[in-house]
Amino acid sequence: MYDLAIIGGGPAGVAGGVYAARKKMKTVLITDFFGGQSLVSADIQNWIGVVSISGFEWGKKLEEHLRAQESIDIMDSDLVSKVERMDGGWRLLTQSGKAIEAKTMLLTSGSRRRKLNVPGEKEFESRGVAYCSICDAPLFKDRAVVVAGGGNSGLEATIDLLPYATKIFLLHRGDVLKGDPVTQEKVVRNPKVQVILNVEIQEIIGSQIVTGLKYRDKISSDVRMLDVQGVFVEIGSVPNSDFVKEFVKLNDWGEVVVDHKTQRTSVEGIWAAGDITDVMYKQNNISMGDAVKATLNIYEYFRSR
Amino acid sequence: MKIIIYTTPTCVYCRMTKEFLDKRGVSYIERNVIEDESAREEMINKSHQLGVPVIDIDGEIFVGFNRSELESLLKSNQSLSSKKI
Repeated sequence: MYDLAIIGGGPAGVAGGVYAARKKMKTVLITDFFGGQSLVSADIQNWIGVVSISGFEWGKKLEEHLRAQESIDIMDSDLVSKVERMDGGWRLLTQSGKAIEAKTMLLTSGSRRRKLNVPGEKEFESRGVAYCSICDAPLFKDRAVVVAGGGNSGLEATIDLLPYATKIFLLHRGDVLKGDPVTQEKVVRNPKVQVILNVEIQEIIGSQIVTGLKYRDKISSDVRMLDVQGVFVEIGSVPNSDFVKEFVKLNDWGEVVVDHKTQRTSVEGIWAAGDITDVMYKQNNISMGDAVKATLNIYEYFRSR
Repeated sequence: MKIIIYTTPTCVYCRMTKEFLDKRGVSYIERNVIEDESAREEMINKSHQLGVPVIDIDGEIFVGFNRSELESLLKSNQSLSSKKI
């Protein structure tokens, strides 16, 4: 039986793993891949100590740092799909059919992309509906597109698309854009970009690929149609907390509620850190720090028992 | 088994797909759909996809990097080829 099972290989999971290994706790880390959501970032410029790095290289660095530790078991290319209570700890069942037993758990499984949940979205996924602007933007050369979402990721998707698309409609459900002012300025003053506010997206339309998007203007209630061949969805994220929802306390958004001093959850023996938690700011640097806090507290927990 | 991967240089999942195949010693042809207009046409005609990676394995089209799908496909292919011998 492991002392600690860390679930997730993003910044929080890896930080927890490095600290747990250095404390010589018997630890296993289970993850699908390394790097978390920043993996698809073209250029991370706010990871402190490194001026600029791509998400892919960054993920590699995290993996390398974890693998350099002598005493940690790593199970990658796998996912925890279910958790069961057992005598003295937890049994974790993975997608590939493995079972792992651990006295404590650190939940660092982060969050995933929120979807629009409108007709046509699923049908036209990768037939015009896209979730990775850095991957797919070049394929929309000479096409008109919609970017759904006026937060930072929506603004960044717009920037990724600027060199390729002929026209970008940036749709936001609120009455003001949300992203960083510096990025907003860059986006809004470009003549290719048209910002449309107070939007409720209703349907994505197409035949073989996307041909249009239908939305309702929330002020006038008019339903309008945009002729576009692409829709980039950037409307935030949903925490990956389903596999523990029967045990730990979640808030209305599905985030794991933690004590921010120790990262303990509502259940003894389970800690959480990073984007899966109700932390106010979802940031790589913060996820790492919070996971370090959690791991040191787990170490204390064993020592004081 | 002939594998063609259609990629963009900035696509992370394309790199993950290539790494996955490299690790298993599986060879493939990469076609960059940004630099090569004909590759882009070919990909869209074959798959009607506007997302990368598109993976063509002996004429069968796969979209995106799906590790378990690729894994089982390679496995069944390997057992087929060993049966032939």
